[in-house]
Amino acid sequence: MPIENATARGAAPVTLYLLHALGASAGSFDRLAERLDGRVRVEGIDLPGFGSLADTTDSSLETTVDHVVAQLAAHARGRWMLGGHSMGGKIAGLVASRVLRGEAPLVGLAGLVLMAPSPPRPEPMDEERRERMLSWVADGPISEQDAETFLEQNTAAPLDPRAHEKALADLQRTSPAAWRAWLETGSRVDASAEVGTLDLPVLVLAGTDDADLGAAAQPGLLASVYPRARFVPLDDTGHLIPLERAPEASDAIAHFVADEVLLGPVVPEDWAALLAGDRVDSRVRGILNLRAIPDDRGYAPATLDLAQLTLLREIADLVVPQDGPAIDIAARVDAQLARGEGDGWRNAELPPDPEAYRAGLDTLATIWPTDPATREEVLRAAIEGTTDAEGPLDAARVKLWLEDARNDLVRQWLAHPASMARLGYDGFATGGSPIRGYVELRLGRREDWEPAGVGGTVAAGDAA
Amino acid sequence: MNLDAMRTFPTDEIVDVVVVGTGAGGAPLTAELAKKGLSVVAIEAGRHFALDDLTPDETAAVEINWMSERLSGGDDPTTFGPNNSGRGVGGSMLHWGAFTPRPDRRDLTLRTETGEGRDWPVDPDELLAYVERVEGDIGVSGPTPYPWDPSRRYAYAPAKRNAPANLVAKGCDALGVTWADAPAAVLTRARLQDHHGERGACVNCGECHQGCRVDAKASTANTYLPAAVAAGAEIRAEAMVHAIELDARGHVAAVVYHQNGVDVRQRCRSLVLAGGGVETPRLLLHTGLANANGQVGRNFLAHGATQVWGRFDEPVRGHRGYPSSLISEDMMRPADADFAGGYLVQSLGVMPLTFSTTLVRGGGLWGPELMQRLEQSRFMAGIGINAECLPSDDNRLELASETDEFGIPRARVSFTAGANEKALDQHATAFMLRVMEAAGARETMVLARTAHTIGTCRMSVDPSDGVVDADGRSHEIPNLWICDNSVFPSAIAANPALTIMALSLRTADRFLSSAA
Repeated sequence: MPIENATARGAAPVTLYLLHALGASAGSFDRLAERLDGRVRVEGIDLPGFGSLADTTDSSLETTVDHVVAQLAAHARGRWMLGGHSMGGKIAGLVASRVLRGEAPLVGLAGLVLMAPSPPRPEPMDEERRERMLSWVADGPISEQDAETFLEQNTAAPLDPRAHEKALADLQRTSPAAWRAWLETGSRVDASAEVGTLDLPVLVLAGTDDADLGAAAQPGLLASVYPRARFVPLDDTGHLIPLERAPEASDAIAHFVADEVLLGPVVPEDWAALLAGDRVDSRVRGILNLRAIPDDRGYAPATLDLAQLTLLREIADLVVPQDGPAIDIAARVDAQLARGEGDGWRNAELPPDPEAYRAGLDTLATIWPTDPATREEVLRAAIEGTTDAEGPLDAARVKLWLEDARNDLVRQWLAHPASMARLGYDGFATGGSPIRGYVELRLGRREDWEPAGVGGTVAAGDAA
Repeated sequence: MNLDAMRTFPTDEIVDVVVVGTGAGGAPLTAELAKKGLSVVAIEAGRHFALDDLTPDETAAVEINWMSERLSGGDDPTTFGPNNSGRGVGGSMLHWGAFTPRPDRRDLTLRTETGEGRDWPVDPDELLAYVERVEGDIGVSGPTPYPWDPSRRYAYAPAKRNAPANLVAKGCDALGVTWADAPAAVLTRARLQDHHGERGACVNCGECHQGCRVDAKASTANTYLPAAVAAGAEIRAEAMVHAIELDARGHVAAVVYHQNGVDVRQRCRSLVLAGGGVETPRLLLHTGLANANGQVGRNFLAHGATQVWGRFDEPVRGHRGYPSSLISEDMMRPADADFAGGYLVQSLGVMPLTFSTTLVRGGGLWGPELMQRLEQSRFMAGIGINAECLPSDDNRLELASETDEFGIPRARVSFTAGANEKALDQHATAFMLRVMEAAGARETMVLARTAHTIGTCRMSVDPSDGVVDADGRSHEIPNLWICDNSVFPSAIAANPALTIMALSLRTADRFLSSAA
């Protein structure tokens, strides 16, 4: 099925796929697409029973999620985001959770953009209102009059004529069955267990004049689902954000993308295709998808204090120099320490890992130069056990701790799928059913499924 | 392993035997005793893993390793965790490398031969007969004939040679060193395993250390444990033994383990400890048992496992295929040796995180040089050793003041390579450099490493000089037995698992004849 929205154009570093609201269509995002052109590529996706797919009979939540996954699998490449408006927000959460569990043939999800989203839990909705809306489709499609009522109830101020006309048309062509499916079932489903907690960059836009899904309500509905959510209220705005506030929403999205999404390395296209394919088990894909999520620029350290984390980042830059967009491996080590994960042992001279990190960093801090050019020499002396620093750890222990720290830092770097691609390691793609390993083991040869970047030439027929 | 039909025993029943640990030490004995009609409960600290639970991702795969912290000291602190310590039903055989050289009979009589180290109080012929039985039980692949033992037969053709193996072979050929495809407990054709079902053939994924997902690699979880369960043994997983109770005579009467948040007591007539070279002595030191002579924890042994990596012009990509698919036993007694014992040589492929750890810890690398070596890693092939280690009273396991999540003091292991280990390592390093240069390496890199956790509860004929007798029975407590690599009097150069399993079958027989 083609994606109906034709407004996407130009080459932008990231694509935002958007799922529309009840009674709307992909076209409801046209204005966002125009405004974001050149910064973010916006693609709306029509959902079953709506827009160009109004004739589709099955509009259940499961079918809708499957439909979105299929659309994304056909189109999403490189780094991309997913988002949704109202009903589309709940579906976006379900799709994102599936992607991050590795249960979809998708990699590259880097953030969510939600506009007045319906939450994973049952949507708070006045029962009288639900009944009234259901009555609009009792005898067939929504009438023009009821559509007008709907728009009036969901906007802070009348829409401009062009947007108004388009919204009316979308409402009237909506499949009555799809309208009912959402109001009677989809909105009531409790998907919070399935969606779980998704720790990725999330922007939540909500209107101050919206009711149950407005700016005041959203943090309570979503903060536990999306711990990184950035909530942006839009003044004098009702429920129909993409139609009511395209300029403001576009600016918020552009800022969000620049600040939180376009960070860290991107997995090369042929490696992403391999990761998405059936040689990779869901669990492995899920693990790698989580690791590929952009780091939280505002990461609040859980084991170290901010000064210690800053110093660890500066050490990380020297121990594991990253020449492209960098992974915040120091923050990842802090999180690892907070989870209590080590490597099963430590040198008997050192205190437990979290304490060793704090003590080691505090020791080095006493002599750490502000001039980056001289840091390498200071670190070298510390690694070699000859540091002059005087603090909680003596020079011998600083050396031992730095061995652990170097190891933790490089392992965090290497665990990222972009690093694996860089090193030419494709051993994660030895899954599937039945499990497939390697047929070609020889020097200088690779198999036809392997990315060219692993090096070597594809073996001719004699390999297998 | 399907445990649905497993027989279970009430905890107030006095079972014949409790076995602590389900790895190479505990499982064969559990199966043997159960087959003879004894009531046996095997208690395992880790969880039961289905094949689908295993993952090739190195970071996530540590769930099959013993990750609860151990402290390591001495001049050459040995690495634990994924390097050598397993946790789960199947023990370290979930993560082991499946490299299965047979123990060399000369290593078992090293003292007689050289005046160094220890002789094993075990008849080499008897042990080797058990070794052959184990090979049949678990399925071992390897070359026939085997160059260093022409009478030997392997039931399965060798694992496919990978690029590092071919390069090391080239280097060996140039130097006139004999090499062969390595004996490996990895099936090269499917096999119907008794009481378990079909085990698949190796798919050359290279991820043995992350746990075999096709059951081609033997572990006790796909061999002895299903046989034990079929014979009526019970396996209790996720149960951490932390106390041993004695009766008025000073005999073991029960063990106490922590499971699902509560302490459970299991009464027993005999106790067999099979937790390995760290957990077995830790439990004995913690309970204060079987240690009147102060021998528990002494003589910790670690194999020298130095690696040499060579960089080649073409991509090697040694993460493909069975990692150590070539062996040479030529260095078991080198003519120019200035040390006792010898070392086995193997080719090496490696997974990236494991390699990066060796670069950092063994090579001391960081910064641009570290990144350069990682970038080059796909062009690197390795060669490594497993080297004899002589017992030393300075190398020992003790309890730290710090406790673990169960309130048991953590193990603190101190290890310093002695003169013999150093001389051996020097010889081996020079040899490996020659091989890699002869193989055409553009440059080479030496990475220091040790492997395996051995010793600490050694067998001895003289009761003052060890923890257990030549049968594996405690010198002090007559119904306490130890059956794992902690009883090894010396390290011997062969990788330990095959020998541990052979010893386990032997201990089972000794146990049965002692009871008869």
